[in-house]
Amino acid sequence: MEWLNPYHLQVASFVLINAILGVSIYVTLSTGQLSLGNAGFMSVGAYTAALLSTQHQVPIPVGILAGSLLAGAAGILVGIPSLRLSGVYLAIATLGFGEVIRAVLINWESLTGGAVGVPAIPQMGRVTLVWARDRGFSPESLGLQSNQFISLTVFLILLLGTILTVAFFLRLSRSRVGRAYAAIRLDESAASAAGIPITYYKVLAFSQGALLSGFAGALFAHSTSFVSPGDFTYHRAVEILVFAVFGGSLHIYGPVFGAAFLTVVPEALRAVSDYRYILYGILLVLMMVFRPQGVIDPALLRRFRRSGKGTPA
Amino acid sequence: MFLEQLINGITLGSIYAIVALGYTLVFGVLDIINMAHGEIFMFGAFVGLLIVSKAGAPLPVAFLGAIVVTAAMGLLLERFALRPLRTRPGASHLASLISTIGVSILLENVAHKIFGSGNHLFETPFAEISFTIGPVTVYLVQVVILLISLFLMVGLSLWLSRTRAGKALRAAAENLETAGLLGVDTNRMITATVVIASAMGGIAGVLVGMAFNYINNQIGLSMGLKGLAIIIFGGMGSVYGAMAGGLILGLSETFVVAYGSSGYRDAIAFVAIIVILLIKPQGLFGQAPAEARR
Repeated sequence: MEWLNPYHLQVASFVLINAILGVSIYVTLSTGQLSLGNAGFMSVGAYTAALLSTQHQVPIPVGILAGSLLAGAAGILVGIPSLRLSGVYLAIATLGFGEVIRAVLINWESLTGGAVGVPAIPQMGRVTLVWARDRGFSPESLGLQSNQFISLTVFLILLLGTILTVAFFLRLSRSRVGRAYAAIRLDESAASAAGIPITYYKVLAFSQGALLSGFAGALFAHSTSFVSPGDFTYHRAVEILVFAVFGGSLHIYGPVFGAAFLTVVPEALRAVSDYRYILYGILLVLMMVFRPQGVIDPALLRRFRRSGKGTPA
Repeated sequence: MFLEQLINGITLGSIYAIVALGYTLVFGVLDIINMAHGEIFMFGAFVGLLIVSKAGAPLPVAFLGAIVVTAAMGLLLERFALRPLRTRPGASHLASLISTIGVSILLENVAHKIFGSGNHLFETPFAEISFTIGPVTVYLVQVVILLISLFLMVGLSLWLSRTRAGKALRAAAENLETAGLLGVDTNRMITATVVIASAMGGIAGVLVGMAFNYINNQIGLSMGLKGLAIIIFGGMGSVYGAMAGGLILGLSETFVVAYGSSGYRDAIAFVAIIVILLIKPQGLFGQAPAEARR
């Protein structure tokens, strides 16, 4: 059980949170809208969950649900006026939204703790351990130490969340809604002429992305047990964007792959870690010049499926 | 007090206007937002700092150095991050936004490696010189900043409206293809635009160093975001919108800090754009929205 150390599990947990964030920008992008406000929505989810559990002793699952829903509601609020904007205007306005949220988090000290952040948020793994201990279960019976058990629990909860998210949006992409998204992305006027209610689907995609960011944020808060406004800066927004751009924004596996790759590589190569953002920058330019659709695109997936001879991809 | 704040606001606003002009020139011609402009501006500030504070050379040399370095950066940016996207058929309009975000992240972190993340003192030789007119104290630095900004704005307006190259640039901004058909070398025009915009960013960088007395590797981001807010507020691609928007933002920030809370100072710009986008999406001086123009 040596390989199962908390460090590896923590990296794996960040991969999963980042994967959900990657999917969150992908969902909005799949209607052709680029939102740079996902770091802001993430902070809404994270702070809601954190404050509910620290100040009102709300159970963690309820807090996560509330955080996600509130972020989704914020997404609707921002999404409706943003409909009048397209392309770069939308990107800048959502970026502005993120900055406003961060200013509020820093300045509303009585509620948010200001720039210091919210400490001592109940950690999912630790709470589960206490809960299990109360029922006479000890992790030693599985051959695990307490901290292994804690990290493993967090990882498994996040894995479940990620799988559900990916499965949901995979199904969605093959449904009426997903087809509508694709149609809007390809040509908005044509989609409208074909009778697709553009407004409805664009706001839906936008708030789904916001809800997912909030979900990731709430999970983040309960995994790290500490959040501060510094976690949700412009750099976070760019990082989320890089996941989707590098991995690929035409298929849901793209951002998941992007998040996994770009989280693990800097961890595995310490030397790279120092230059992480410099590499992100170069990566963004190179991707746009040579492979704007990202590493993973539907054509690549089809090739995989064919050579894999029937293995489901 | 009020008059002094007014002067502070105008000084700040004129710097904002110069930053915003860099964005608006590029947007006017290329229809793209150059997200790296803020970082190019930051490098201008650092070059100015090295020349003035470290080498002890006079201020005009600092401006010259900043202009040369940022113009070169503009040239490289256009060559490697923008031109390859332009020649690719069917590239998404978000592609250039994303690639310039890439350049901005790259530059910010290169600056972090070189200069660290702390504040650097920007010493201007005449920082302490001030004079009193009635109840108002005016610093010489403010006067210099105002004069340089005014000179730049007037110069740019005249250049755009009166000279042959300015006309070519406006033609390119109107319609790149038609301008090309009518004999304007559009590739050269685009390069010139990006280079001029970047050089203006370099000048603005030195001005910011003079105005705030310190710089760090984050100013590109914070000033850049404000510049973006201003051009949306004033109307994308509108030169006068950028100037007016810059002044309005500078004044409102100064007065909010003076008579209200300083914590929300940096949020004003974004609240302003969210409001303006709701009321008049094309901005104060904007033409018809992008959708209708197509």
